[in-house]
Amino acid sequence: MRIELERIFSGAMGVDWLWQGCGLVALGIPGHEVTMYTPRALWIGLLLLGFYTATSGCNRPASSSGRLEAVWGRRGISPGRLQKPRAMAIDAKDHIYIVDITSRIQVFDMDGNYLRGWKTPACENGRPTGLTMSQSGQLLVADSHYFRILFYTTEGILLDEKTIGGTMGQGPGEFSLVADVVQDSKGNYYIAEYGENDRIQKISSDRKYLLQWGSHGNEPGQFQRPQNLAIDEQDRIWVADACNHRIQVFDTDGEFLFLWGQRGAAPGQLYYPYDLVLDDQNHVYVCEYGNHRIQKFTRDGKSLGCWGSSGRAEGELFNPWALVLDSRGSIHVLDTNNHRVQRVKM
Amino acid sequence: MFKYSIVFDNTAWLWLFALLPIIGWLGRRSLSGLGKWRRGLAIGFRSLVMALFILALAGMQTRKTIDRMTVIYILDQSLSIPEPQRLAMIDYVNGSVAEHRKDESQDRAGVIVFGRDAVVEFPPVDFDLQLAPHIESLLDPEFTDLASAMRRASALFTGDTAKRIVIVSDGNENLGDALRQARAMTALGISIDGVAVPLVARDEISIDKLAIPPDVRKDQPFELRVVLNRETTGKTARRNVRGKLQITRRAAGHEEILVEQPVELPPGKKPFTVREVINQADFYTYEARFVPDYPADDGTLRNNTETAFTYVRGRGQVLFIVDHAEPGEFDFLIQRLKTEGIQVTVQLSNQTFSSLPELQRFDAVILANVPRASGNSAESVASFSDEQIEILVNNTRLGCGLFVIGGPNSFGAGGWSGTKLEEALPVEFQIKNAKVAPVGALALMMHAGEMPQANYWQKRISLEAIKALGYTDWCGMVQWSGREDWLWNARRSGMLPVGPNRKMMMARVDRMNIGDMPNFDAPMQMAANAFQMLDKDPDAKPAVKHMVIISDGDPNAPSAGTIRDLNRLKVTVTTVCVPSHGSADAGYQQVMKRIADQTGGKFYNVQSGRALPRIYQTEVRRVSRPLIKNISEPGLPPTLINLHEMMKGIDTDLPPITGFVMTTIKESPLVEVIMRSPAVKEERNATILAGWTYGLGKSVAWTTDAGARWARDWTNWEGYDRFFSQIVRWTMRPMGDTEKYTIATDVQGKKTRVIITALDEGDEYLNYQTMAGTAIGPDMKKHELRVEQVAPGRYVGEFDSEAAGSYSIAVTPGAGKGMLLTGVHIGYSSEYRDRETNRPLLEAIVELPAEGGKPGQLVEGALDRRDMKKMLAVDPFRRDLPKAKSIEDIWHWLVMCGSCLFLADVFIRRVQVSLDWIPPFFARARDWMMRRQAPVRQEEIISRLKRRKAEVDTTIDDRRAASRFDIPSGEAESGIQTSILEQATRSTAPPAGLGRPPEQTLNTEPEEESYTERLLKAKKDVWKDRGKGSKS
Repeated sequence: MRIELERIFSGAMGVDWLWQGCGLVALGIPGHEVTMYTPRALWIGLLLLGFYTATSGCNRPASSSGRLEAVWGRRGISPGRLQKPRAMAIDAKDHIYIVDITSRIQVFDMDGNYLRGWKTPACENGRPTGLTMSQSGQLLVADSHYFRILFYTTEGILLDEKTIGGTMGQGPGEFSLVADVVQDSKGNYYIAEYGENDRIQKISSDRKYLLQWGSHGNEPGQFQRPQNLAIDEQDRIWVADACNHRIQVFDTDGEFLFLWGQRGAAPGQLYYPYDLVLDDQNHVYVCEYGNHRIQKFTRDGKSLGCWGSSGRAEGELFNPWALVLDSRGSIHVLDTNNHRVQRVKM
Repeated sequence: MFKYSIVFDNTAWLWLFALLPIIGWLGRRSLSGLGKWRRGLAIGFRSLVMALFILALAGMQTRKTIDRMTVIYILDQSLSIPEPQRLAMIDYVNGSVAEHRKDESQDRAGVIVFGRDAVVEFPPVDFDLQLAPHIESLLDPEFTDLASAMRRASALFTGDTAKRIVIVSDGNENLGDALRQARAMTALGISIDGVAVPLVARDEISIDKLAIPPDVRKDQPFELRVVLNRETTGKTARRNVRGKLQITRRAAGHEEILVEQPVELPPGKKPFTVREVINQADFYTYEARFVPDYPADDGTLRNNTETAFTYVRGRGQVLFIVDHAEPGEFDFLIQRLKTEGIQVTVQLSNQTFSSLPELQRFDAVILANVPRASGNSAESVASFSDEQIEILVNNTRLGCGLFVIGGPNSFGAGGWSGTKLEEALPVEFQIKNAKVAPVGALALMMHAGEMPQANYWQKRISLEAIKALGYTDWCGMVQWSGREDWLWNARRSGMLPVGPNRKMMMARVDRMNIGDMPNFDAPMQMAANAFQMLDKDPDAKPAVKHMVIISDGDPNAPSAGTIRDLNRLKVTVTTVCVPSHGSADAGYQQVMKRIADQTGGKFYNVQSGRALPRIYQTEVRRVSRPLIKNISEPGLPPTLINLHEMMKGIDTDLPPITGFVMTTIKESPLVEVIMRSPAVKEERNATILAGWTYGLGKSVAWTTDAGARWARDWTNWEGYDRFFSQIVRWTMRPMGDTEKYTIATDVQGKKTRVIITALDEGDEYLNYQTMAGTAIGPDMKKHELRVEQVAPGRYVGEFDSEAAGSYSIAVTPGAGKGMLLTGVHIGYSSEYRDRETNRPLLEAIVELPAEGGKPGQLVEGALDRRDMKKMLAVDPFRRDLPKAKSIEDIWHWLVMCGSCLFLADVFIRRVQVSLDWIPPFFARARDWMMRRQAPVRQEEIISRLKRRKAEVDTTIDDRRAASRFDIPSGEAESGIQTSILEQATRSTAPPAGLGRPPEQTLNTEPEEESYTERLLKAKKDVWKDRGKGSKS
């Protein structure tokens, strides 16, 4: 379609400038030809294009390579509601375990239907910040401010005899603020802690101290708040080194293998990575507390896309703490300051 | 759940719809050239636009009818209701909500608990709320203010719901007017149900009265009278109740027991009399207490105590308050005042007064270099609370003198800026001119994390800090709001001068909601950068840079580089570890301690949020240090401005001083400046000594010290004793003769009468005296007394004494006469007198019908398990109220749609859209998809032209043949040929943009001169003429 703007304006109706702008916008539509005669029209057209771009983009995540599938959870302290949820785990039945700032552990199905819940034995000093499923299907709770790992059955029965730690200190088998725990294929536990100690301790399946590595700092192998751990099929320990804004990888002896990530908001950069999960297609999903997003990486740190931006609307995140991957390959993000969970396919 | 309807604000505008056919008719005529479809569309759009604008003018609105009910339960937690019944209210609410709330209608339920004050225990929520087994809100249960709770509830309702409150109470209100409030609420459509909490009849013993004669004189015996009252249920009326009556006397900080005797109480009232003699002038407090041998004999012990006051006038007394951290600093001055005949009582700042009656016996209070808060650790930090400061200020209002002596911990340098103390003194503590006093800079970092009520405490301490900072001081606050961020001026340094921004800062603090900060390093580095920016600005460069971090200690430690930066910039960092994560020796708290140690700040480990304001008051003092003006040795003597009464008979040749605290003199005609320092050019900031009258009292500011550091030469000055004693005496309460006046109080219901009897020297009644007085209540509220003569020599004033506690009363009997002081104690709240449910009030309230609805229901029952089922049968979520309606204006949407359609109308009329491009487009697309070579377009056009040319040739030949014999002249033939040729040319001309038209092949006889040729010819003629002209 050809629009001869000069001819249109001969009508001089006072809205010619708008038509010029609209005409320029139409340039972007296939099959349209527009002849512009005044520089004013160019400016107005650019303005309209800018406005269109801005308004059409304002309701979407800034960088979206994921599809939002579900949003559930409401703020509250009654059963089924969430109050600043901080850690999440998922079991083989795709049941999601969430601990919040009231120290309640609640179990939901994938659509957010409340199944059951219980509380940790004590929470006056602080609330847990890590949840993990063990190989035998028990729920491991990083009870941070009591310097220990609690073991629960999936029905919420506390297995007291299995508790690891409980003593604050810097010695072997002692802990400062426990952040997270993972278990390798041989049954050994790797426990990350921060505060006075920024390190990872390896504890055998019969609760004996084996070794430790890491210290406070920003050199490779050092940590600043190792907030979360993941373990891959080769028993490599992946560490979300939150305040260094990077991911570090170690072998089971604590030998540093490689790291990637640097502080920033651009794709490929990280800002307070608080959690990570690995899928079976060699991808790493990282939950960024400071960037309010989920970022998908290859195992060697190449960014494959981001999902989420700061906000309270659906598809937006506000200081997310954790994420899990379900059996169908969807990511569940713990949108902490929005007191909810969002499910996304990336 | 919703039902929508359309309503109009002003239907008269709808008559404009009658114009629509006219528009259609006009459009038909004026748009006739557009063709059928375009014209129809244009008229349609035009009519639609018109219709939308008419609807907008008529104020079109959508009305939504909502079937939602919100019920707010108001639970009476005052002490007139026994605890088991107060707890049973929780079961009732939980049961009622679970039983009756309709989830499908999104009904809401909320809970307010009240005593003296009303607190929202659970805001209205649209799920089945379950209250915890105990009420979590903190209340003053000594009173019942049902009206304020109802007011609070009505503020919680939203417009999209029907409204009901359920009052669960015994109805015994002793503050406010619930019935009046209920009338106002029902008029607004709020329905009221009630649950009458039954009170169990019980035995009750109380002290009815403790009476002291009004004319108590030194060394003259008088009788104390105690009246005990015993109310019985009838079952126990036959026997006496045994117990112990104790009467104590307090004066000058000492307490002694006057009487402790066993007594037997029959039902009814029983008086006891005790003989008493006062040997020393002072302010005396008597307290009578009855303790039954068997607690079961008495319903509550709270009404078993009563207090009374009397004041025996003697020599003037002065309270001298010194800093507990430096107790000996003013020993020299105290000694000197004593030698001048002034009775001085010394108190440490952390062990001083806590109520107004304690100050009544003093005629002046001296605050000697006392900071607002001082101490080195969270445990030892002590400060004057806001209440204490208010007591001090009110004490001055009641006639007591106030003398503030300077030093590095006093006035603004002592953290007193922004407090009530500033109101009572003739100087302000802040300097508004940065050129006069160097500035300080304070960065606050907030991360109280999981501490209980973290946000509340963080706001509270931030406000304390902002209030206490000086006008020119800089302040910034870094916190986590999704990322590390400054609370104000975030785009630049994050720091702003406090003075012009104080209100904005306080408003931002009030709105802030702080998140969980992961790391100390980034925000501390931000603070370091901000201090560096201030340092680079010569106009803003702060003399003192300080940072205070409050945290639960779990963010990661700062890097060595950040600490190095802060040290390089001379920033001290104080860390305050709050009690969220266990014991003090926890390793992560060591992180905070290390930050303080590395930067020269202090580390506080607090166990309770209550310590935080004191700590922040202490820390802000670090930034206030620039208010101190140091004068180099040997110092400069102050300049005497005014030969005031205080300076009477004193040598005007004053010794030098080497420093003082800068202040700003108040612009009031009452202020008298007596001395200034020549060391500061700005006179209003150079005050050394000034005084004024405040309320019934006088206050003096002495901004240098009394000889410890800045006024050392004054201690050897011969006028020292007289100078300071005259200042103190000037401030002291007037000491006129009051021997012939007596003052007494009489509590009658919610009012107290003050009765003054005045006699002259000859014991004759003194009439027509002008008296005025003031009473200060336990809540520090000031009550003006209008004292009027009611009989010969008898004057009476009255004030409201609703609240329990001590009231201090001062009456000025006339000019030049000493002040009359007394007090009255409202021993216990009427809460403890109520023994029956006030059913009439509750019935009157629930019988009021809500606007458009029915009256409420009064639920009866004992709130126990047996009755609970019956009580829960009443449905507070019943639909007997008009449904809520929500009306929303949509005229702006209509205008917007109309505007868009107007453009569509213009488009239809002005733009002819050709669709010719569609078939070729599809043809090309088809060729592209089928990978076919597209036919050459040019050839198609040429063949079409050739075909057309052949047709034209044939037509011309036919016409020539047909008209050969009819038109003889060649001229006419030529004309026909031309017109046909024109037609052919027009019809074979390509559309615009398709290339050059095909070459003209037809010959036209005879050939006319073209326009160009004629122009060329004319041009040549002109040149020829010019050539001829030039030759000639």
